[in-house]
Amino acid sequence: MLKSEAVTRMFGSKTAVDQVSMTLEKGHIYAMLGPNGSGKTTWMKMAAGLCKPTSGRILFEGEPVGVCSRASIAYMSTEPYFYNWMSLKDVGRYYQDFFADYSGQRYAELLRSFELEESLKVKTLSSGMMAKAKIAVTLARDAKVWMLDEPFNGIDLVARDRIKSAIIESAQPDKLLIMSSHLVEEMEAIADRAIFLRNGQLIKEADIETERTENGCSIADEYRRIYGAQGGTEA
Amino acid sequence: MKNLIKYEFRKTWGTKLIILGITAFAELAFLVSLYLDKEKYNGLSILALTFLAIGGIIFIGIQSILTMHQDMNTKQGYMLYMTPNSCYRILGGKVIENGLSIFVAGAFFFALGALDVTLLLGHYGQLGELKKMLDEFLRQLRMEVPLDGRLFALLTLNFLCSWLATVITAYFADVIATCLLNGKKYNGWVSLLIFIALSWAMAYLQQVCTERLVWDARLIWNAVIALGCSAVMYVATAALMERHLSV
Repeated sequence: MLKSEAVTRMFGSKTAVDQVSMTLEKGHIYAMLGPNGSGKTTWMKMAAGLCKPTSGRILFEGEPVGVCSRASIAYMSTEPYFYNWMSLKDVGRYYQDFFADYSGQRYAELLRSFELEESLKVKTLSSGMMAKAKIAVTLARDAKVWMLDEPFNGIDLVARDRIKSAIIESAQPDKLLIMSSHLVEEMEAIADRAIFLRNGQLIKEADIETERTENGCSIADEYRRIYGAQGGTEA
Repeated sequence: MKNLIKYEFRKTWGTKLIILGITAFAELAFLVSLYLDKEKYNGLSILALTFLAIGGIIFIGIQSILTMHQDMNTKQGYMLYMTPNSCYRILGGKVIENGLSIFVAGAFFFALGALDVTLLLGHYGQLGELKKMLDEFLRQLRMEVPLDGRLFALLTLNFLCSWLATVITAYFADVIATCLLNGKKYNGWVSLLIFIALSWAMAYLQQVCTERLVWDARLIWNAVIALGCSAVMYVATAALMERHLSV
């Protein structure tokens, strides 16, 4: 469904993503793992069509990502990105105006489950409320691909459980879900596949269940093994 | 496209309302001072209205340039660039919204100006004499330009078209700075130089193409050339964004 072909992205002399090639299939939830600066966000932004690769390309259903793919790929950035003048109701209207796959009813349900009022102004939201609002509006789209960058950042345990439920509800055999997070154990409970990135390079793709049954190690163990050598303590 | 234009307008309507509010206040001051025959306050309110008309239209353009810059350089730009719209449509939305705002504001201030001049002429009959004197003065200078509504309408049209072209040229220079010179030393200065050079080139083209024409044809062709330059700048800017813009 989503294919990355030797994708490289450079910022000046720094290589953020380095020759990443992989194929992500529908019907799976991928955990994109790696310490800060490993290239997770940059790769997602390229897949969302927000950022252009320096070389290589990302294909969605066989076509390079761009204007058309944006109608089917729902991306949630880790940073707040709603316009300051908006209320949460305005955010919903905005998505309604631009995305054919958006459901206002689903948005209202998700906001309710996250205990957020539609009348709240974006500029008054705390970081946790903002994170929940971003997830609600992104999952309110019936997209073919969801990409959630750090969906659990700044969110308390109870809300995290609600978000996990919402994500699992959204996962369908014909959908693809990609999430990045530093909370590896949380990811292990949701995802069935893991992608390990380091210094912009793809280190490993793994089936979480196979790792567990055949190699007897969890994703957190694998994370420690891969990143431990460079002093990574993010698990 | 309709939604893109709607949200572009939504981003800037606050300042437009402020301009409208201040204008309403200045107009009220003008009408009251005219009614009460307070010439000093009358003069001040005319000065304020003139400043608002020119300054307001210029500000609408500058705000559009700032919004464009913000959309390319802050995370809020994701809202715009993650929608399934090409850069041609996104930029088109901005150009149409800004063009409409500039022309509607221009028409509004022109109509208001015409109304106020009519009221002034009605109130102070001697102003008609002053106009005749100015006409005679211009004739002696061999400037065959009648000081009438047509002249002011063409001057306004020329100003609005040239200002729109300047705004789109600024978009182009900003896109160059963001897409091609991002992270490079002096990128702001380089894009400013590009903006100045392109603005000068447009002014030169207008001068060369219209210098042999009579005054009214000159004003019309200046406006046409400005609109042509706007179209060229729009295509060049959108093409650059489509190929190189990363937000």
